[in-house]
Amino acid sequence: MTRIRRWQLGLILFGIALLGIGVFVLFQEVNPKRYIGILTWLVAALVIHDGIIAPAVFAVSLASRKLGRRVPQVIIAIVQGALVIGGVVTLIVVPEILKKSIGTLSSSILPQNYLLNLFLFYGVLVIATAAIVVGYYRRFARRANVRSSEVHD
Amino acid sequence: MQRLMYAFRQALLAPSRNTRTAVVIGRLLGSAFIICFVTGIYSHFIQDPIPGMVFLTRPIWLYQVSQGIHITAGILCFPLIFAKLYSVFPRLFQTPPITSFGNFLERASITLFVSSSLVEIVIGLLNTFQWYALFAFPFRQTHFTLSFIIIGSLAIHIACKLPLITRYWTKKASYDEDGEVKPTGEPVPAVARLPLPDVGIGYTSRIFAWIDKVPEPKQPKVSRRAFMTTIAATGATVVALTAGQSFRFLDFANIFAPRKNNTGPTGLPVNRTAHAAKVLDSAMSPDWKLTVVSGSTTKSFSRKELEALPQYLVALPIACVEGWSQMANWKGPRLKDVMREVGAPQGAGVRAISLEQGSSYAKTEMEPEFVRDDLTLVALELNGEVLDIDHGYPARMIAPARPGVLQTKWLSRLESI
Repeated sequence: MTRIRRWQLGLILFGIALLGIGVFVLFQEVNPKRYIGILTWLVAALVIHDGIIAPAVFAVSLASRKLGRRVPQVIIAIVQGALVIGGVVTLIVVPEILKKSIGTLSSSILPQNYLLNLFLFYGVLVIATAAIVVGYYRRFARRANVRSSEVHD
Repeated sequence: MQRLMYAFRQALLAPSRNTRTAVVIGRLLGSAFIICFVTGIYSHFIQDPIPGMVFLTRPIWLYQVSQGIHITAGILCFPLIFAKLYSVFPRLFQTPPITSFGNFLERASITLFVSSSLVEIVIGLLNTFQWYALFAFPFRQTHFTLSFIIIGSLAIHIACKLPLITRYWTKKASYDEDGEVKPTGEPVPAVARLPLPDVGIGYTSRIFAWIDKVPEPKQPKVSRRAFMTTIAATGATVVALTAGQSFRFLDFANIFAPRKNNTGPTGLPVNRTAHAAKVLDSAMSPDWKLTVVSGSTTKSFSRKELEALPQYLVALPIACVEGWSQMANWKGPRLKDVMREVGAPQGAGVRAISLEQGSSYAKTEMEPEFVRDDLTLVALELNGEVLDIDHGYPARMIAPARPGVLQTKWLSRLESI
C-alpha cells in the first residue's frame, strides 16, 4: 500500500467515525420531530446555492464580460471584485436589518443602524472602486501613449 | 441530457475555476472549519462537561478569545465557502453523474459537506442575533451535530481528493512554463462529440451560441489573480467590519456586528434582560437573600451582609458564546469566602441557582477550579456602580475564562456540591 493510500484509508475511517458521532449526537440530543426541519434546511441550502446564487453569479460574470468587450480585463475584474464584496456583505447584513425591524429581546442585540451603515458601506465601496478604476485607466492610458510614441519614433 | 450537462460544464469554465485554486481555497476553508470545530467543542464541553473534566481558569481571556475566533472564523467562512463552491461549480455538471463507487462516495460526501456547511454557518450567524424563529429545530444541538457531520464528510472529501491535493499543493508543481495551470488529465467524455440536443424551438442552442460569443478572458493569469484578490478583500472586509465585537482594537470599524462595545446598561451589553427572565419583582424585593448551603449548614445573606464580607475588585471580561465580549470591573466578595461561611469543603464545586424563570441556565454548576479561584466573585458592583438589574442585581457570579451564560445573574441560592 502506498503512503497516499494509507492516508486515504485513515482519513475515510476517521471521517466515517465522526459521521457516526454526528448521527449518535443527533439521536441523543435532537427530538425526532425536528429532523424534518433540519432536512428541509439541508436541501434548501443546496437549492438556493446551486439553483439561484451560482447561476446568478455566472450570469453576472458573462454579462460583465459581454458588456465590457472593449474594456481592459483588469477593469472588469475590479468591478466584479467590488460586486462580490458588496454581495457577500449584503448577504450577511440583510438578515440583521430584517431581525432588527422585527425586534429583539434586549436592546444590546443589534444595537446599530445596519440599514444606514449598509448604504454608507455601498457608498465607500463605489468611491473606492471608482478610484481604483480611474487609477488603472490612467496607467493604461500612459502605457498606450508610450507605446504609440515609440511607434512614431 | 448528458450532452447538455457537458455543455453546461464547458460554459462554466473560467481561468479561476481550476484545481490549484480549489486546493488553495480548500486549505483556507478547511483550516477555518477546523478552528471553528475546536473552539466550538471547547465551548460545548465547558457548558456541558463530562463528569471529571477540568478547565483552565487562566488566561482570563481564554474563553473570550476562543469564542471571538470561533465567530470571526465562522463569518470568514462565508466568502471562503462561496469561493470554494465557485471554483468547483462546473463539476456539478459532471457527465456521467456517477462513474464508480469511489466517485459515488466522493459526490455523496461533498453533497453532505456543502449542505451541512452552508446550514451550519447560516444558523451560526442567525444565532448571534438570536433569530431562532426561522428554524424549526433547536440551535445548539443542531449546530453541535452538524459540526461532526462537516468534519467527517470533509475528511472523506480530502481522502478522495488526496492525489489531486498533493499534486497541486505547491505553486511550482501546479503551473507549467507558460504560467498555465497544468491539466488534471481527466479524459474528455464521449458525449462531448455528440451534437447539442434541442428543446422546443432552438432555445438551448441559442443560449449556448450566445455564451460562446462572450469573449474569453484574454489573460488567464489576471483572471486568477483577480479572483484570489477578490476573496482576500472580501474576507478582510467582513472580518474588519464585524470582529470589533470580539476584538477591541477593531471596535472603531465595527459597523455590522450584532453587538457593539459600550452599549447597554452601565456601558456593557446584555443578552438576557431582567424583563425576559421575569425577575423584575423578585430581584427588586427588599426581602431578597442569598441562601448558601453546604450539607446540613444553611446561611442566608442580605446584600448588606454580602457587602460586609471582604470586598475585591477584579477586571474580567463578560464573554458570550455568540462571540461578543467586553472587559469590565467587578466588585464583591470572593465566592470561596462566601462558601467558607457555611463550611463548604475546599475542592468542592458550586451549584448556582437564579431567580430566573423558564431557562435551562437558571441552574448552573461550577467546577472546583473556578470556585477556589481568587478572581471568582459574587459580584455586587459593576464598573463602580451598583449592579444594574439587567446585569444581575442584587448579586451575580463572575469567574475568569467562563462563558457569559454560566455567569449566573440574579443569584438566589448557592449549593456546595
